[in-house]
Amino acid sequence: MTETGLPLAGLRVLDISSFIAAPAAAVVLGDWGADVIKIEGPDGDANRKIMIDSANYPKAEVNYPWHMDSRNKRSLTLDLKQPAARAALDRLLAVSDIVICNFPPPVRDKLKLTYEDMKKVNPKLIYASLTGYGETGPDRDRPGFDVTAYFARSGLLDAQRYEGGPPGVPVPAQGDRATAMTLVSSILLALVHRMKTGEGSWVGTSLLGNGLWSCGVIAQAALVGAFLPPRPPPERPRTALGNIYRTQDDRWIQLTIVREDKLWAPLCRALGRPELLDDPRFAEIGERRQRSVELAAIFSEIFATQPYEYWRKALAAHEITFGVISRPQDVPDDEQAVHAGAVVETAIPEMPRTLANPIRVSFAEQRTARPAPALGQHTNEILSEVGLTTDEIAGLRSTGAVK
Amino acid sequence: MNEAPDNEEPLPLAGLRVLDISSFIAAPAAAVALADFGADVIKIEPPVDGDPHRNSYRNVGYPQSDKNFPWQLDGRHKRSIALDLKNEDARKILDRLLQKADVLIVNFPPPARERLRLRWEDIEPINPRLVYCSLTGYGESGPDRDRPGFDITAYFGRSGILDSARYEDGPPGLSLPAQGDRATAMTLVAAILLGLRRRDQTGKGGWVGTSLYANGVWAHGTSAAGAVIGAKLLPRHPPDRPRNALTNLYRTRDDRWLQLLMVRDDRLWEKFCAVVERPDLLADARYAGRPERRTHALELAAELVSIFAARTYAEWEKALAGTGIPFGVIGRLVDVIDDEQAEHAGIFADTTNPEIPRTVNNPIRLGFARPRPAGPPPAIGQHNDEILHETGFSETEIAAFKKAGALG
Repeated sequence: MTETGLPLAGLRVLDISSFIAAPAAAVVLGDWGADVIKIEGPDGDANRKIMIDSANYPKAEVNYPWHMDSRNKRSLTLDLKQPAARAALDRLLAVSDIVICNFPPPVRDKLKLTYEDMKKVNPKLIYASLTGYGETGPDRDRPGFDVTAYFARSGLLDAQRYEGGPPGVPVPAQGDRATAMTLVSSILLALVHRMKTGEGSWVGTSLLGNGLWSCGVIAQAALVGAFLPPRPPPERPRTALGNIYRTQDDRWIQLTIVREDKLWAPLCRALGRPELLDDPRFAEIGERRQRSVELAAIFSEIFATQPYEYWRKALAAHEITFGVISRPQDVPDDEQAVHAGAVVETAIPEMPRTLANPIRVSFAEQRTARPAPALGQHTNEILSEVGLTTDEIAGLRSTGAVK
Repeated sequence: MNEAPDNEEPLPLAGLRVLDISSFIAAPAAAVALADFGADVIKIEPPVDGDPHRNSYRNVGYPQSDKNFPWQLDGRHKRSIALDLKNEDARKILDRLLQKADVLIVNFPPPARERLRLRWEDIEPINPRLVYCSLTGYGESGPDRDRPGFDITAYFGRSGILDSARYEDGPPGLSLPAQGDRATAMTLVAAILLGLRRRDQTGKGGWVGTSLYANGVWAHGTSAAGAVIGAKLLPRHPPDRPRNALTNLYRTRDDRWLQLLMVRDDRLWEKFCAVVERPDLLADARYAGRPERRTHALELAAELVSIFAARTYAEWEKALAGTGIPFGVIGRLVDVIDDEQAEHAGIFADTTNPEIPRTVNNPIRLGFARPRPAGPPPAIGQHNDEILHETGFSETEIAAFKKAGALG
């Protein structure tokens, strides 16, 4: 299953996790050559059905979130509540390098899936743990989700709002996917440690910790008693030159002019309003800041007269710095997204393109995504690989320990 | 499992030398994480002004403080050498540093790299074992490769996150200062560690990297994967127009936001009406069953708005706790910094810098090592002499470099 030439070829990863952050870390390891075995309970990972179950997921015929989070994995079904299945897991652990686990701590205790349990079976094993809120403390047993632990509890959503408005809205799994990269880094550090010492180890991260790391600037500010000033809505900006404007076709242009001294004149020309240059109300930076609401109202009217494409060209022609607020549907066909290696082709007929993980290296290409596995698709294959006989497998099936 | 009680073993990256020739946040933050776990990080900065990030705390969009809190965060553990890279003598110093380094982190836009001869192909002949780590806004090729990319433009704007993160008909969502930069730093760390692993396997260095744009798309991956196959994207209804009034946000009397997450309203509706002391709602035919409550979501939401506005969050927490009705609060940083659970999760750490006594840890936890405690970040060029000595230059050579203006 592994491919030579990739930096993680030869590593065996057991993904005993569910939903998104932890499985996505396993995806990244698989992208770079690891052999990832997804171990699921008899009902399968609930992420198989999230597109239907969640009101906030775009609906499609193709189960795209499942493909995205399970590409290149093999699926083994084990009912870990049954001792025979737990014994089969030990056979796998003995020949694996990494296990990724995101059960809440009480479940780990009950199913003997803690690091201490697994270390006895394989002292060279790297155990990567994801929790919502950490490994100890009053909330350690609480199931954590992206929206509750990464975004709400961390203070991100409170900070991501316009003055007087409701809290910000996260996009589905946004924090989960960012957290996955942290989990990958922690696993790679454990591999460094194992190479130096020959020993396995526990590594991990929490969604809460990642949420706070991502808003580290304002968290560090809070630690010295400074807080983010409320963010005025677009009609009341602090500076009209660093603000967002709606275009005629209901798109948004984000002006991000930092070098106002240089760019004020080209901006007035790009907007087709050179007379603003002579307007004494807006002659200097200080005056423009003081009258930012007035100036924003003028800009809003101007931007509303032309569609987005017009402004994109006009601003670029005058070398005005601006940000594109893309819509998700623009990304797949953005030539630059392909150059950035973000959008790639797959070997999945029903989903010919997908998103690569964001790591690039000169010495290897990420594996092409193949279809996500059906539940238990590789059960026989994997159990045979670790030395179970046909009779033993049949025995496990008869008791329902494997499916 | 708990984290390591003490550093009984050397830190996993001890002995690794990293040159951080980057500016602002995403790339320098990756160097911070490497330093947290033992790497010797040398920050190469332009003389006089240094990394412009030293002045970010004066940015109007940042929390206002006279303490340089962002620099503490992104400069910790580093030693600073000030080099004027346009000066030929400075280049001699850089080449010597490169010969002795394991990792180089660069985020100049491609034209500047070319001008300064800092591309991987320029550096590979000097040290073929080096892991060259590149951060760009938009990738290493393509129409926008030379464009400077920032967190808000490349990670959030271009990726579609801000457009998705808004309420229907409302303005785009807001991102926080460096929010995407810091997430991207974890990707860079992973990329560098992959490069080091490959070096251990083959003896060869190589180029590794990422872009802010690709990280934004990755974070937006679920919706973006939907968009790739043409899935219909759903607008988010604002809290006053929810699709389901029982999974929605409500403002409390003390201006907190309570997240009601009553997914199993089939089971919990009766209990809920009792807890909020509104038996009339239970008797109301408009809300009799689930389909009715969905049909009349707006009317029900209006009722709940006034119900929740009547008490403080603390009162609601008391009333709802133990009822089985799922709810949460939108946390505020002012509370988070004293959150006991954040301490348990290893999120904050004490520093040895009296001016800024606490900082934010990187989110990686290891059973075998703790991150180094942070001291104050370096002044510009603070370690010039020390680093030049270590690199093997004599007093006479160092004096000549100074005279030639290589160090500013």
